[in-house]
Amino acid sequence: MSNAVAKPKDWVPKGDLQKEISAEKMLLELPRELLFITGSEAAREAIKRANIDCAISYPITPQSETMQQAGYLYDEGYIKEYYRAEEEIGVMSATAGASRAGVRALTATSGPGLMRGMEAISSWPGARVTPVLLDMCRVINTPLAIQPDNIEISFLLNTGMIMLHAENQQDFFDYTLAACEVTEHVDVTLPAMVSVDGFFVTHARGPVSIPSDEYKLNRRDGWRSAVPAMDNENPPARISRDAPIQKSNFISYHMHASWQQEVFAALERSGKYFEKLLKGRIEIINPEAEDFIICSGSAVSQAREAVRQEGENGRVVGLVKVKTLRPFPTTSIVNALKNAKRILIPEFNQAGWMHKEVCSVLYGKCKANIVDGPRVFGGMTMPTEMVIEWLAKARKDFP
Amino acid sequence: MSLDTIKPSPGFLEHLPIEYQDLVNHGQYGKKMKASDMGKFKELIEEHPMCAGCAMTLFIRLVFIGLPNPEHSVIVGTAGCGRLAISQGNVPFIYGNYGDTNSTASGLKRGLELRFPNQKKDVIAMCGDGGLVDIGFQGLMHSWFRNEKFATIMLDNEVYGNTGGQESGMTLKGKVLKMAPRGKVDEKMDVMGLAKVAGVDYIARIAPTNPGRVLRTVRRAILVAREIGSSYIQAYTSCNIEYSIPTPDVMKDAFDIEKERYGFEEIVSDRAKKFLDEVEKKKK
Amino acid sequence: MAVKRYNVRMAGIGGQGVVTASHIISNGVVISGGYSSLVPFFGSEKRNAPVESYVRISNEEIYEIGEIIFPNVLMIFHPSVITLGKSYTMPFYTGLKQGGIILINSKTPLKFSRDEQRELDEKEAKLWYLPATEIANEVAKTDLATNMAMCGAISAIFGLPDLESLAASVKDRFVGKGIVTSGGTAALDSAIEKKFAKKQKLLEANHNTLKATYQYALDQGWANEGAGSKKESAAV
Repeated sequence: MSNAVAKPKDWVPKGDLQKEISAEKMLLELPRELLFITGSEAAREAIKRANIDCAISYPITPQSETMQQAGYLYDEGYIKEYYRAEEEIGVMSATAGASRAGVRALTATSGPGLMRGMEAISSWPGARVTPVLLDMCRVINTPLAIQPDNIEISFLLNTGMIMLHAENQQDFFDYTLAACEVTEHVDVTLPAMVSVDGFFVTHARGPVSIPSDEYKLNRRDGWRSAVPAMDNENPPARISRDAPIQKSNFISYHMHASWQQEVFAALERSGKYFEKLLKGRIEIINPEAEDFIICSGSAVSQAREAVRQEGENGRVVGLVKVKTLRPFPTTSIVNALKNAKRILIPEFNQAGWMHKEVCSVLYGKCKANIVDGPRVFGGMTMPTEMVIEWLAKARKDFP
Repeated sequence: MSLDTIKPSPGFLEHLPIEYQDLVNHGQYGKKMKASDMGKFKELIEEHPMCAGCAMTLFIRLVFIGLPNPEHSVIVGTAGCGRLAISQGNVPFIYGNYGDTNSTASGLKRGLELRFPNQKKDVIAMCGDGGLVDIGFQGLMHSWFRNEKFATIMLDNEVYGNTGGQESGMTLKGKVLKMAPRGKVDEKMDVMGLAKVAGVDYIARIAPTNPGRVLRTVRRAILVAREIGSSYIQAYTSCNIEYSIPTPDVMKDAFDIEKERYGFEEIVSDRAKKFLDEVEKKKK
Repeated sequence: MAVKRYNVRMAGIGGQGVVTASHIISNGVVISGGYSSLVPFFGSEKRNAPVESYVRISNEEIYEIGEIIFPNVLMIFHPSVITLGKSYTMPFYTGLKQGGIILINSKTPLKFSRDEQRELDEKEAKLWYLPATEIANEVAKTDLATNMAMCGAISAIFGLPDLESLAASVKDRFVGKGIVTSGGTAALDSAIEKKFAKKQKLLEANHNTLKATYQYALDQGWANEGAGSKKESAAV
């Protein structure tokens, strides 16, 4: 704690000195420097380059270290507006409010905070606002814990928002920047959530290569959007963007239905941008394998190690990493797994949402035996030994 | 939106709906309307699905007339009767989630200030008593403590009208309503007092008995919010359905309640008073 | 080249700088050209509450993340982790791989229950005692340097990070701004700084502590995991 000091009169916000470039240039072209940093620091580096206008914070473990870093970035002038709001309903409402004004807004939360803000968050896609939400996954079910468990992701799968699941610190940096641009394409105009498993990534150090901070993304153009900003810059009309279509008649039913259809169509349209910026929406290792692991987030790291150790023992195991949970890369997954014989789906949650997703897209298109696990939850990690054990069991059960 | 935006390109006006033509030719844009002008110009809100004889509707109509810059205003609302009328007005309206008005308005106002550094945009959070002090209490109070620069207007009908007549925090003690089968146990919440404690710069309590006074109060609240800090208007807008007030007696009820316990009151901070004195002197 | 891997579980008491030590070792490995990752176990950060942190060290890229359930090295920063059970992991050696190393900050060997002793024997654990707090008090004139003392010995035991990289990592920690600290840690840092008045002095004291326990470990014959290059490292 120290006392506030006013900025000198000749203070220049550091963000003003950065050069604006596209996400394509930022992520795919600029030379990079390798750092060894935590996931929270990777988020800070992404936010620093994301040309954020407004960041609104509220503390919750394990997210706090990210949004307090955003506060320092505001102090340095990389972010134009920043405050600590009352709680997550307030945070999510205000973040949407800022986005409605036509500026780039960002916030971050974790498990219970996400649930608290859920009513607001689930209204974002339909409101066609474009904030980016960083989500550091943690336990939400009772008994409560602060440890990583990504069951919260399952609650958002059907909202219509873009959902990315970062495997590690590097992904967290790249996905955040990609999300900041893709959300604002006119044919998308949707919010995005970038999830990462708390602690395992946020508080752990790993290698992250990043471009120079002399650059930042192009600013949001508030005039370019699928629906006008709430800025009263359009001729008046007796229509509100959030028409309260609460009359029970067929016009209101159609209005809601067509609006939602368009939200989910826009979500699909975002896929092509991620395909480019993330170099594919899935990653495949050992495509010729008969045994496959498919997963997202931290589970991918454990699976990679399992694939390596199996390889050292002469067993070829394939791996599919899913980067975009929404839009779900259905076609790529079907193509990658159509010749698999056994599929393992390791997850860091009890519900097995990835298992359900994968089963639903593979149904009738693949003859593999799909194993319902392995799964850990409540915060524990999944040792590589566990993945290898499950692989051995699958081979025995389905010879 | 500049006033020019309202005007269609040459040759197009006649092809637009008559409603729109009236707004351009006979609307309130760029003018300051008086209560006595009502009926002589095209108002921002006319048609609405509110109950016959609803006092809230009259008040909302007056708020629209009182907007100092409708072409640069955005209204934020939430569930409740009021939004059925507000959403029909010619001012962008955010119908947000339950009780999120003052949080949403905080982000919106700050975003607009970033995007339009040379054009003040007025943000007005207008919704019912339940939306503001029950479900929206946290957002309301914190927006005041943060001294957010937008106006908050409570349409206080002392009941959840839209959901069918449940007691709210603003219901008087002892009233039997739904969810208060033995009568409300607690006192009506002193939101004026809360606003004062939170340091709101302009606070007013009003009943829609004097249209001219409503217009002046709305203008004051919005101007103070624009230049000084948070402002709050608490307006008695009776629910003639749930309180069984015969339609012809709605205004009589407003006068009675005003006299009994809802008299006009302004609590103005020193800096807001100084500002208002300057603005109002200039106009004279 | 075979994958060389140290999976280290560190346990201690809040305020001892266990998490800081894990950052310093991990960062030192990266500075020296190796691979490393770390994850602290987060209960709530409170003084005197149990703390655990996990560091992976390798000569190849590391994929696996999360806390380490099957470590091959344990660092015990305070005897009460064992004697008072101030630990998230009970008993403290749970999951230790066969032939694993246990480095304990204690002047004298600890007494274990019969079952514990049997299990440690079965695991063929190498139990090494380092008087880290005493050395910190002697060299740096403060027990706050206990974590440094633990780091110095580890450098000698693994040969990774080398002492120079470890010193560079300590400098990063106190002078650079690479590491994000929790509120409590930041407050503790300023307490340390006050004590030393100048950062330079602080760095010097830390370096000397590192060197002292590095030498102590060499003298004990702990280098290269205790047997020169003869013995295989504990299986990962």
